[in-house]
Amino acid sequence: MRLELQDVSARYGAVVALDRISVVVPSGTTAAIIGANGAGKSTLLGTITGLVPLAGGRILVDGADLAGLPTEQRVRGGIALSPEGRRLFPEMTVGENLLSGAYARRDRRAVAADLERVFALFPRLLERRGNLGRNLSGGEQQMCAIGRALMAAPRLLLLDEPSLGLAPAVVVDMARAIRAIAATGVTVVLVEQNARLALALAETGHVLEAGRLVRSAPARDLADDPEVQRAYLGELLPADRRASTNGAAICAPVVR
Amino acid sequence: MFQQFLVVLGLTAAIYMLLALGFTLIFGIMRVVNFAHGEFVMLGAYAVYVLQDVVGLDYFVALPLAALLVGLAGVLAEILIFRRFTGDELGSMIVALALAVSLKGAVTVIFGVEGPPISRAITGAVEIGGTLLPKDQLFAAAVAVLAVAATHLLMTRSRLGLAMRAVAQAPDVARLQGISPWRTYPAAFAIGCFLAGLAGALTAPLYSIEPHMGDAALMRAFVVVVLGGLGSIPGALIAAFVLGAVDAGMSILFNPTIAALTSFGIVIAVLIARPAGILGRA
Ligand SMILES: Nc1ncnc2c1ncn2[C@@H]1O[C@H](COP(=O)(O)OP(=O)(O)O)[C@@H](O)[C@H]1O
Ligand SMILES: [Mg+2]
Repeated sequence: MRLELQDVSARYGAVVALDRISVVVPSGTTAAIIGANGAGKSTLLGTITGLVPLAGGRILVDGADLAGLPTEQRVRGGIALSPEGRRLFPEMTVGENLLSGAYARRDRRAVAADLERVFALFPRLLERRGNLGRNLSGGEQQMCAIGRALMAAPRLLLLDEPSLGLAPAVVVDMARAIRAIAATGVTVVLVEQNARLALALAETGHVLEAGRLVRSAPARDLADDPEVQRAYLGELLPADRRASTNGAAICAPVVR
Repeated sequence: MFQQFLVVLGLTAAIYMLLALGFTLIFGIMRVVNFAHGEFVMLGAYAVYVLQDVVGLDYFVALPLAALLVGLAGVLAEILIFRRFTGDELGSMIVALALAVSLKGAVTVIFGVEGPPISRAITGAVEIGGTLLPKDQLFAAAVAVLAVAATHLLMTRSRLGLAMRAVAQAPDVARLQGISPWRTYPAAFAIGCFLAGLAGALTAPLYSIEPHMGDAALMRAFVVVVLGGLGSIPGALIAAFVLGAVDAGMSILFNPTIAALTSFGIVIAVLIARPAGILGRA
């Protein structure tokens, strides 16, 4: 599914959270949205799901304007979000949380097959299938949130900070899972503060700063850009020592 | 005497559960405090009277029909009134009180201040373990337990139940799964008011019916639900059992007035210790 944002703006009261953002994500590719805390990354995903109203601009998927479509309809149309902070249903089991993602689907057999696929992707979820959402660890919650989004069989998958709060080893698993999902042809928009991880997984990168889009470039170019490195990749360290630091260790296995 | 206690406990707890379940269901999903819940119980009682004693239907036909009619009235109330007050706890309370007064007034105008006499379809008693039990009370308790169990299954096993629980736990996240909260609200009212109507239709032949009978029903539902934690179905079921036990024990040992006094004493004590109720979360 091709995603196109044209001059998208969003406001919270008087606060301008997004200022005329234009981004194109070609069908089947992965785009990374990076930026500091408060830059507007989650708001951007919110405008795509419809939970945050547009103050200006247009959002097109496969050329069709989403204007006026409520969130539920967008989800039914193939857009799924794994939200910031996981937002599992706390009083539902892992199994029920996953099935809630497939709520709009009627094809029982395909849903059952996708459930198997999610369990293959995140075997830990199978072990925790009967546990309540609120009793999961942070990493398990994140797997469940992404699994729930996958259960919608999306053609456009929005991931909001999937690595946040995860132990380094779990981040590696997560990165592998995201790469596997992207390989199935789903268009992915990956929002991350962990810019190194996001740029390693994406074809293109977009840098947000205080609600403005300041850079859009192939992800590899951004990762090699000294300015981006200084601002988002902690490039104060010599390249060879990076491997021994926590942040780099997290991503070393996924850097191409 | 212990057997008698168990039996009265069973009857009381079953009716308490039925009364409380619909109330807490609607609150949990819509954050609407339906202070007209008792009037839906009253409507159920009058509906079964009309269907049985005026229209001439058999009680076993009139009973489910009355509950269905009240469920339908609940859907109408949701569409015409309550959906505007979704999430507005105070506003919903006030509009529900206004609806309660209107319904009481309307019923009084049509049927008079004194309730009409309702004929008892089930008579006689059975002896169980040396205690003589009226069949009508046993029937009411059995139907109440079945209705509670069926509601539980609906909430935990069905697609609609999943949607209602999702909306109750996080409406915005529910929308992200393609669940429209607006579609679950009428369903919540339909089920909540069906259960209220069923409670009224079940108890109508046991007690007398009159326009103000909803007050006591609401009080019972409210006490159970507050004790269990607003919006918590398991909490309401536990609380119904606790209050049923207190009611039964105190009524047998002393009298119903002391039973009511003790119940409210317990509610106050529990709420001081746990302000959100037994299973509620603040
Ligand atoms: N619900 C909200 N109400 C008011 N302001 C908000 C709300 N959500 C986010 N903001 C503000 O909008 C800006 C962008 O936030 P957000 O999109 O969450 O950034 P990011 O995801 O990049 O950390 C921030 O200044 C934040 O304080
Ligand atoms: Mg964010």
